[in-house]
Amino acid sequence: MNKKTKNRISQVIMYTLIIIMAVIIFYPLLWTLGISLNPGTSLYSASMIPEDWSFEHYVWLFTDPRSDYLTWYKNTLFVAFATSILAVIFVTLTAYAFSRYRFVGRKYGLYAFLILQMFPVLMAMVAIYILLNQVGLLDTLWGLILVYVGGAIPMNAFLVKGYFDTIPRELDDSAKMDGAGHFRIFFTIMLPLAKPIIAVVALFNFMAPFMDFILPRIVLRSSENYTLALGLFNMVNDAFANQFTRFAAGSILIAIPIAIVFLFLQRYLISGLMSGSTKG
Amino acid sequence: MSDLKLVDIKKTYGKDTTVVEGFNLEINDGEFIVFVGPSGCGKSTILRMIAGLEEITEGDFYINDKRMNDIEPKNRDIAMVFQNYALYPHMSVFDNMAFGLKLRGKKKSEIKRRVDEAAKILGLTDFLTRKPKALSGGQRQRVALGRAIVRDAGIFLMDEPLSNLDAKLRVQMRAEISKLHHRLGTTSIYVTHDQTEALTMASRIVVLDKGQIMQVGTPKEVYDMPDNVFVAEFIGSPAMNIFEAELRDGQLYIGDQSIVLPESHQKMLRDSGYDGKAIKFGVRPEDIRETHTLEESNKSTAFDVEVSVVELHGSEIMLFAEMSGREFIARVDARTDVSVGDVVQFSFDMEKCHYFDNDTNNAIRKKEAPVEEVLN
Repeated sequence: MNKKTKNRISQVIMYTLIIIMAVIIFYPLLWTLGISLNPGTSLYSASMIPEDWSFEHYVWLFTDPRSDYLTWYKNTLFVAFATSILAVIFVTLTAYAFSRYRFVGRKYGLYAFLILQMFPVLMAMVAIYILLNQVGLLDTLWGLILVYVGGAIPMNAFLVKGYFDTIPRELDDSAKMDGAGHFRIFFTIMLPLAKPIIAVVALFNFMAPFMDFILPRIVLRSSENYTLALGLFNMVNDAFANQFTRFAAGSILIAIPIAIVFLFLQRYLISGLMSGSTKG
Repeated sequence: MSDLKLVDIKKTYGKDTTVVEGFNLEINDGEFIVFVGPSGCGKSTILRMIAGLEEITEGDFYINDKRMNDIEPKNRDIAMVFQNYALYPHMSVFDNMAFGLKLRGKKKSEIKRRVDEAAKILGLTDFLTRKPKALSGGQRQRVALGRAIVRDAGIFLMDEPLSNLDAKLRVQMRAEISKLHHRLGTTSIYVTHDQTEALTMASRIVVLDKGQIMQVGTPKEVYDMPDNVFVAEFIGSPAMNIFEAELRDGQLYIGDQSIVLPESHQKMLRDSGYDGKAIKFGVRPEDIRETHTLEESNKSTAFDVEVSVVELHGSEIMLFAEMSGREFIARVDARTDVSVGDVVQFSFDMEKCHYFDNDTNNAIRKKEAPVEEVLN
């Protein structure tokens, strides 16, 4: 077999793989989009490409007095933004400490971060419920935010610490000589240079509240406090009125804020920020 | 303008790793001090202790007679240039240089004036708006220097600032740093492992090994009168040739080769009690000459050897040969017509020879007469 045919074969294999992946990703997405445009509420009469498509479900979600969709949307956005911002603050501060200070328990602290990630969130459910109940944050969005931010620290701090470690310590030293203290170094040197990883942390923590179902299910009780995932699930879970088409319409709309935030953050997801600081 | 004093400085990591011990040094205002030594000798650690980036385990450090051990780096009035430049990659050249001034709350007009001035000295005026990544290695190094200059600090510290540059640029920057020092007159401490940099730039050299001072002196002193074998071998390129020798009846035996010593040397060695003992005999490559180029008085040491390697260095030739099983290097004029395998007659320039104690490795020198005797 000559080099050319070899090349061609490997190309064919690569494209086949890409196409398979694309189908796996897009098929459910197209189905959901199709269902959301179907009139009626039944799942069984719906088709992927509706014959007489309409936006009635989208309109229903926002205008019908029986729909809490807008409230859920606001709740979720609030939780998402608050989680994202708070997580970035706490995670970067923790990571900075672990990356730049040497203190007793540093090593075991890092191990603890790793080990904590091995346990599923489900394990902590009872404890979280009791804790929030005691401090009176049960059935509040702040209670949910608190749990999200707390959970984000171990996993993300580990990531960010790894990134901070790649920023040369000479930059800190140099800033120290220039007269900067720890906070100044953190804000004017480390944070601007760690933008890519901060963008990742912000994005992940922004997305989590849109996707998560289990935590809100446990923490949130009343419908006006529901987040999107929880509210939408109740739409299809209702024994008497399965509203699959409305559910689909509501799910499609979840993608919008995530896409916007992603587009905003993606300009920070660039590599090579550090080039030029030190000799390669 | 500052002078520094380091008294009995000690640095340990953990319980049993001692990096620097018993370090004593006084540095006068306006001096250009070079710390030189092999890697791991503690030179950078001492520099970082002076900067305040490392804690001093024991001992006292003074700037202008004020104890500085517990003073924050930013309050020591010290500017530092790092080996890896350590430029802030997200800031322009101007901002990099202005950062320290901004933190010190200087006025905008003052900052601009100082940065412009430093940029002019260093030829960076056209690059002020660029980011570090758009600069070449030499330009980055200049920015790092500029950042130190604008601060107008009392002391400059430089930690191997030229080690990342190519050979040509290094020579050029070396001269520029020297010029800068003459112009500003700031007390400077420069760390390097390159003895050429040390010899060419320093007003005084501090040779270090294993965290201890081996010798302090002007480049000429350190080169011409090394205090011990370490300094003798470290300073100078190629290194000084050191032969194991034995002193018998006023003659020096290197293996079975005997060398007649000048009367004064014989007396000095005898007086110091080395007659009949093993010593180390050192001679620099340029002090091993072809016999016919020497004056009559030195020809007594002539010996014949076969040349094993000939290295042309442009203006001079290094000849490698063996004497009683010990390889040595002679530096001769490039016009000398010698090729591998030739037998050449060499002689030592005995006035430039060095003797070292076999056990302590310290130089054996004429004991200086007590002051009273000289006065009488």
